[in-house]
Amino acid sequence: MGKLTNFKRSLWVFHASGGSCNACDIEIIAALTPRYDAERFGIKLVGSPRHADVLLVTGAIPRDFADKLRRIYEQMPDPKAVVVIGNCGTTGGVFYDSYNIAGPIDEVIPVDVYVPGCPPRPEAIIDGVVKAWLKIEKLEKELEGKKE
Amino acid sequence: MTWIESLTLNSPSGFWNPIVWLAFLVVFAVIGYLIYSRGNRSYKPNTDQVKPFLSGNEVEDVEEIRVRAGDIYWGFIEALKGYYSVLMRMHTGDVRDYILWYLGLGAVILFVLVGGV
Repeated sequence: MGKLTNFKRSLWVFHASGGSCNACDIEIIAALTPRYDAERFGIKLVGSPRHADVLLVTGAIPRDFADKLRRIYEQMPDPKAVVVIGNCGTTGGVFYDSYNIAGPIDEVIPVDVYVPGCPPRPEAIIDGVVKAWLKIEKLEKELEGKKE
Repeated sequence: MTWIESLTLNSPSGFWNPIVWLAFLVVFAVIGYLIYSRGNRSYKPNTDQVKPFLSGNEVEDVEEIRVRAGDIYWGFIEALKGYYSVLMRMHTGDVRDYILWYLGLGAVILFVLVGGV
């Protein structure tokens, strides 16, 4: 794992549930509750993408939700990263190729980290968020390079 | 009297001086610029990034979603539609019409009260 050198503030995450069965959502909550307590590292769930650095997405994305997910992604400030939690969002899972599904999440918005599992364990979710953190550090360095 | 004092307007509740006012304006403009310059420059104007978050829904025109004062009385006006439709036709906004009504009704009241005597 690389050193966290550039992104010096807490990492805030926003959770968008795209019609998941709730199992992945519960595991995200488990990552925040006292057993794992991701908040002690500053990883905090926020109520608006306007405040978020990382977007956590769960579920196979129904067609009606695709434009909303795009809008949520666009509302996040740069630099940002997207983490897909679970098999449904990663590949479509058991809903793959269904008529009402817009496809795996990477067909709707760009994805940086995949956390497969049905559902993935909280340790895997935290690992995915840390990988997104490294990606954001890289993006922020690029942004700073552009400024200079 | 110095020139600054000559520009000062004194009153029982305090004073006003354009030079002091300009000095404060400059100070607050500098403070405002310092706050602005520390803002995030990487945001993309004219995109969804600058719009409020409504659970991913499109932000509609404020006129479409605002509850207007007239909406509060909607049920009341709907229930008394027959009565209000007449009143609203009479409600021209022309003060001369209202004075005419006032004089007319005043004459009727006067006639009822003292006309027969």
